[in-house]
Amino acid sequence: MSKRNAKAGIQSWFDERFGLSTITKFLREKKIPQHRHSLWYYTGSAILLFFAIQVITGFMLIFYYNPTLEEANKSVGRIMTEVPLGWIIRSIHSWAASFMIAFVFIHLLSIWLTKSYREPRELTWMSGVFLLCVSLALGFTGYLLPWDDLSLSATKVGTDIPRSIPVVGAWVTRLLRGGEDVTGDTLTRFFGFHVCILPVFIFILLAVHIYLVQKLGMSLPLGDDNKKEKIKELPFWPNFVYRESVVWLLLLGILFTVAIFLPPSLEKAADLMAPAPEGIRPEWYFLFLFQTLKIFPAKILFINGDTLAILLISMAFIFFFFLPLIDNKPAEKRGKVITLMAYVFIVFFVVMTVWSLL
Amino acid sequence: MMLRGKRNSALFLMVFFLLSFFVLKVDFAQQVVQEEQNKVPQAEENAEKIVPSPANIKESTGIYIFLAWIWIAIFVLIYILRLKIKEVDRLNNLRFLSVEKK
Repeated sequence: MSKRNAKAGIQSWFDERFGLSTITKFLREKKIPQHRHSLWYYTGSAILLFFAIQVITGFMLIFYYNPTLEEANKSVGRIMTEVPLGWIIRSIHSWAASFMIAFVFIHLLSIWLTKSYREPRELTWMSGVFLLCVSLALGFTGYLLPWDDLSLSATKVGTDIPRSIPVVGAWVTRLLRGGEDVTGDTLTRFFGFHVCILPVFIFILLAVHIYLVQKLGMSLPLGDDNKKEKIKELPFWPNFVYRESVVWLLLLGILFTVAIFLPPSLEKAADLMAPAPEGIRPEWYFLFLFQTLKIFPAKILFINGDTLAILLISMAFIFFFFLPLIDNKPAEKRGKVITLMAYVFIVFFVVMTVWSLL
Repeated sequence: MMLRGKRNSALFLMVFFLLSFFVLKVDFAQQVVQEEQNKVPQAEENAEKIVPSPANIKESTGIYIFLAWIWIAIFVLIYILRLKIKEVDRLNNLRFLSVEKK
């Protein structure tokens, strides 16, 4: 039997069992529209790339990390000083998380601005918003794992925020902490969330999101739905995949460079009895929320300032989540108010983030 | 009609969410034994801040060479991919034109 025949034989054996030809046929026939906003299509796959990097580096780190009160900080220290190239792996993991969340924000904002969430893509948007929440939760739970002074204090502040919610607030805080205070139980709980519960959620949501994207196809820019025949289309395989590969390679290069030159440091082990250090700050993607909460006064009339802030943030989030149902105009309508709101959010995000850094 | 239904559903969910702030009183949170919470970690052993960097000159040289190789490999791959993109686009355009002619 020749080499070619053997290859074809193996391919047909797997094809009979998995039905791979259906998938390859789908990929060959899938078309990507080409227009002035095509660049935004690459942000989705960039998120997948960074997520994959996080899974791989996470597996590497988990071999050496020990999620106990006594060992957490020491094990991270060992990863950084004793494990060969451990500090680079940790740095790549940490930076990939930041890059992923940045791209999730960019991806959602691009969809917001191009109104791609409109019918029939409402559920695609909603699954995307859930993915943003899970990504932020992964970032938040991962921040505590090194168990140093800064991460402990930031987690104390972060898990204390839900306490301002009336009635359920104290329960949410206890659920997150595994008790009244941040302790070793919180660390174990956060580790469980970070490596097991949240990844399961993210895999399910990703599957739903990708399925919906494949089923409904790529959205077209505003008003272009009606003149579909004029839009140039590109085959997904291989034309679009080659283009995506170029973007992936560049992003990989940037990630490696940043991870090597700007690795995250490790503070001394957290002391539960020590006072909170100065300059407690969460990760950059929480800074705008952190600053928003900070600028609210303690009391506004007879309402607790924090409660009001949480309520307003929750309402903004609900608006964000139900955006496709609120702005359910036909695809060709511009929706200037919604566009303006997107720009207001961008300005608010940047101003609050910079303000909290000053 | 459909739009009104969706709007009503969104309104209902929003009201439901806001109400949940005030009506839920069940406590499912795990009660943790107090003694365990009062444990103080032994933080003294690892009291120094660790700033990650290559362990020695050999490792740092190795890392920078590795990084340089990564970028060289990336540029070579991008160059090859650009050629491939041109080729597959040309093929696609030819097929596109032949379909148009029909």
